[in-house]
Parts: sequence; structure tokens; C-alpha cells
Amino acid sequence: MMTNKYLALPPGISEANFDLAIAEFTAILGADRVLISEDLLKPYTKIMIAEPTEKHDPSAALIATEVAEVQKILKVCNKYRVPIWTISTGRNFGYGSAAPASRGQVILDLHRMNRIINVDPVMGTALLEPGVTYQQLTDYLKDNKIPLWLSCPAPSAIAGPVGNTLDRGVGYTPYGEHFMMQCGMEVVMANGEILRTGMGAIENTTAWQVFKWGYGPYLDGLFTQSNYGVVTKLGTWLMPAPPAYKPFCIRYENETDIHDIVETLRPLRMANIIPNAMVFASAIWEAAALFPRTKYYTGKGATPDSVLRDMIKAEKLGAWNVYAALYGTKEQIAVNWDIITNVVKASGKGLIITEEEAGDTQPFKYRAALMRGDMTLQEFGLYRWRGGGGSMWFAPVAQARGAETLKQMELAKSILNEHGLDYVAEFIVGMRDLHHIVDVLFDREDPVETAAAYACFDKLLSEFAKRGYAVYRVNTAFMDKTAALYGSTKQDIERSIKHALDPNGILAPGKSGIYL
Amino acid sequence: MSIKQTRLAGVAIFAGFVTCLAPPPHAAEITPPATIYAHVCGYCHGTNVGPIILGKHIAVDVIKLYVRKGPNAMPAFRPTEITDAELDALAQWISVSQPSPTEHGQ
Repeated sequence: MMTNKYLALPPGISEANFDLAIAEFTAILGADRVLISEDLLKPYTKIMIAEPTEKHDPSAALIATEVAEVQKILKVCNKYRVPIWTISTGRNFGYGSAAPASRGQVILDLHRMNRIINVDPVMGTALLEPGVTYQQLTDYLKDNKIPLWLSCPAPSAIAGPVGNTLDRGVGYTPYGEHFMMQCGMEVVMANGEILRTGMGAIENTTAWQVFKWGYGPYLDGLFTQSNYGVVTKLGTWLMPAPPAYKPFCIRYENETDIHDIVETLRPLRMANIIPNAMVFASAIWEAAALFPRTKYYTGKGATPDSVLRDMIKAEKLGAWNVYAALYGTKEQIAVNWDIITNVVKASGKGLIITEEEAGDTQPFKYRAALMRGDMTLQEFGLYRWRGGGGSMWFAPVAQARGAETLKQMELAKSILNEHGLDYVAEFIVGMRDLHHIVDVLFDREDPVETAAAYACFDKLLSEFAKRGYAVYRVNTAFMDKTAALYGSTKQDIERSIKHALDPNGILAPGKSGIYL
Repeated sequence: MSIKQTRLAGVAIFAGFVTCLAPPPHAAEITPPATIYAHVCGYCHGTNVGPIILGKHIAVDVIKLYVRKGPNAMPAFRPTEITDAELDALAQWISVSQPSPTEHGQ
């Protein structure tokens, strides 16, 4: 409910009790770091998903800058049973943005807790607070002439490594699987205790950021995509800048070529000849970096295949566009380049485009930037493709096997088109897996299209699950459904852990479908 | 202890490592508009992603509303990212700006 004073109230909390909690938060932070007016909370309510904004309105936002403040805030939350939704840089575009999973949760905004605590140029490690952005970190490395590269997701500049890693996001460099490159974290538990994972529990350790596992059960995973603690520091590995770098594109003519692309390139990835998290981008993904779809189609519904074929021809795009890169000395790159070009030639399809041939053109330019961890927001062109600000990432995982990708592509496209939406996708290549990233784009200003997008996403989840596929991450509207698809045993165990670590259920109820 | 003092204590603890502390949201020192534009706005506006906004004489209040609300595809920016004081200066700077020859797009 909305009151005269608050945009929303936490479920089950009276306004009088919430007044008391707010008074205690204010005593900890000061009035200017406790936001309750609708006006001040406005930026926290912006979402892109296909649900009413009101469903995700927070009751307040708290701005903490110190670990001790987080501890004190959690104590108040326990006292009044106030649920708290923690954000770091608060981006999470298309996954829920900064807004909480459910109406009335208090947002704990850690963006101002943004110290770069340590970057070790020799070991290639960093220890960061949650509010550090990729832009801030890249500026730090440049200002201090530290030859290390970042790996970041496409909205790099304004997003940050802690939040992205904790949600198990991916990037495009050889360090693209970000959680794999994470090493050590500090967590404020619901009872206010501070846990340092891995080697961090040893006093005077120098190994916190170099050895992931520590001793006994490996705990870091518990604090990713979860609601078991508030991560206040996170260690990560940074890649030594290579002496030479060679990004390239391979353009394929037909949609069904995705089968051969995977079969041709998987062995090169597994042998580390192509070392980075390369991508296979669909035609619309490429086009969106250049122009809105109105350039070729002004009708409603899905863009007809005939229009897409004309667009691909006129704009010289591929139906699939591979972006990969080589890193190392010139001599290493020359050897691997020969192998790659020979393999592609032997496959009988695919047009290789080098950086020299692409020149200063998009989307090659921004892809080359992403594969070396540079800042760019060029991919926001995706949101202009259809307009209206609606986006939900449907991100099923697949084996890196041609038949699987073809099957997933055809299924996703048919469900999207059935709901009047376009298939806009890329595959990001892991060591043996593919993240099939589909941007369910819709006009959020149009209630009919928004309802269609919701129904579409729901069906995508269900139909993929019937065939043994599930997503690696999901937006706040579909967390419960996704958790259910992963089965009751997993949910029961997660609930048991929740009871043990957060007995009052104050931390982000509903995150990844986990409740008390 | 004031917020400012608390932040300085933080610097002391990590002396030798920390070089990148951002000011608290209500600090007197603000990031200049040109820096914010280059590090945030300019990645989309003027790169054929978002519309060109420099040299368009857009009203200050409209800019402030857009930054906080994030209409359509534009992200909303919270006071922890761009403080009220920074936004005042940024909106003014954009409103009276000249077109940039290096920008392109619509």
C-alpha cells in the first residue's frame, strides 16, 4: 500500500513500526542518506521488465558508505523485520534494474561504498567495494599505468565488477567467466558478523586474492545469486595486458549456419587457440547497433524474415556474426591465426573480416573494445531497435554443440515470433557451454505488447524446460518460476540455508526464488 | 563523527592502496559536468545510440527529470551516481552547450 509518507510499506509492517525503523536508519546514516519521498526514490523504480512498476516499488532507500553502517542497518532490519534489497551499482539492465523483487522492500544502495582497496600489478588482482564501476577501475589502471585489462559486460562504464560477478555475469575477454576469476570476498551476515572467505579468514594472509578455495567447504558460491549475506568486498583477477591483440569477425550468410559455426569453432575454443569468450551475434543484434528497425519495417509484430533478408543484404550483415580475438605475442598470434583461417577455409563457409578491413566501423569497433575490456555503451542500440524501453534477457544455457544451438534458436524464434516479437540473440562461448542470450525487446509503453512479452517469456521458460534447458540468470519477475523449474530438492536445501543464516528473512526475500 | 571525517579515516586505514575514493553524496566537492558527460552521457548521446543533446538548448528542468526518471530506453541515474549538486551543474552545462563536432548520429 501507499501511504501519505511512503511510496510503499514492507509487507506485514505497520506504518508506525516503519516510522520507528526509519528513525533508527536516520540515526545511523543521517537524514540525507535515508530516502523516502517518491521524488527521491524515482530513479530506483525504473525497470525494463514486463511487470507493473508499482509491483517493484521500494519503501525507502538507504545509502551506506561503510561496513559498520551495513552492520547497524541489518540490526535494525532484524529488530523490525524489515526486508532489505542490496544493490551495488544498481544496473542489472533487463534483469530488474535497481528495483527490489517485491514491493515494499528497503533498498540498501552501496554505490557510494566504492573504494578500490587494492590493485596488485604484479599478481594481477584487485580487491574492490561494491560501488566501484568498470569506468572507475579502468581510470584507476590508466592513471597508475598498470598494464592490466578488465573483463566487463556490454554496459561496462556504468555497471560494476562486484554486482556483475555476484550475479554471475559474463564478459568477452579470456577472463569472461567472471565468477571463475573471482577470488575471496567479505560478507556481512544477517546477524552482523563479518565473514572473509577463502584465505581471508587467516590473519595477516597475503593469499586472499590468489587462492580461491581456502580450507573446508568452498563458501563463495553461496553468496552469488543469493540472499545469504551482504557482500562488502570482492577480490577478482585481472588479465595482464598482452603485447599484441587481434580481434576479428567471421560473417555467416544463413541462420542455420549456427550449427556449423559451433562445430567449427568449439575445438579451437577448447584448445585455447581462441582464448576468449567469443560471441555469435544474430543479424538484428548487429543491426541494432546501427539503426532502429523502422528503417526497414514500420509494421507491428515480428519483423518478417523477408525483410530481415533484405536488411542483411543491404547492410552487408551476417545472419550470424562471430567475434573473437587473439592475445599474446605477435608470433603466437601469427601461429594461431594460421590455424583459425585454415579451419574456417576448410569448413567451406564464413567470411573473415580483420580489424584492418573493418576500419572504424560499427559494430566491429565496439566488439573489439569489449573483447579487450574497454568502456562502451554502444550495445544500448538494442533498446532503440523497437523502442519503448522494454527488455528482459532470456538466457538459457546450452552445450557447445551445433545441434543444440540450432534447436534452441528455432524454438526461441518460433515462440518470440508467435508473440509478435523478434529473435535478437547472441551466443557467448564458455569453456564447453554456450550462454544463449536472447533479448526479449518490447515497447513497455504499449500495454498489449508488454503483456505479450510477459506471456512470451513465461512460455520460453516452460518450453525450454520441457526439452531440458534452463536459464543461468533471470529477471525479478520470473525468479520463482525459474527456481521451481530447478526442482524442489534444491529449493528445500536453499530454504534450509536461509533459515540457518537469516532466520528473520530480512535479506532480499525472493532473490533467486529463495524465501524463509 | 561527521561523514567527511569518517571517509578520511577510511583513507588512513588503506593508505598506500586507495586512490579512487568518491565523495559521499552530499560532499561539497563535485565531479565537473564535462567529466560526467564523458564518463556517462557521452557513451550513448552523440554515438548514434541516444539522441544528440549537446547544442540543443534543452531546458535544465527537462534534463534533470530525464536523468532521474530514465524515460524509454534511457537508464535512470540515482543520487548515489550523480548527486543533486552534480546534476544541477550538469543540466546547466548541457543546456547552454555548443554542438560537438566529434559527435554523430541523430
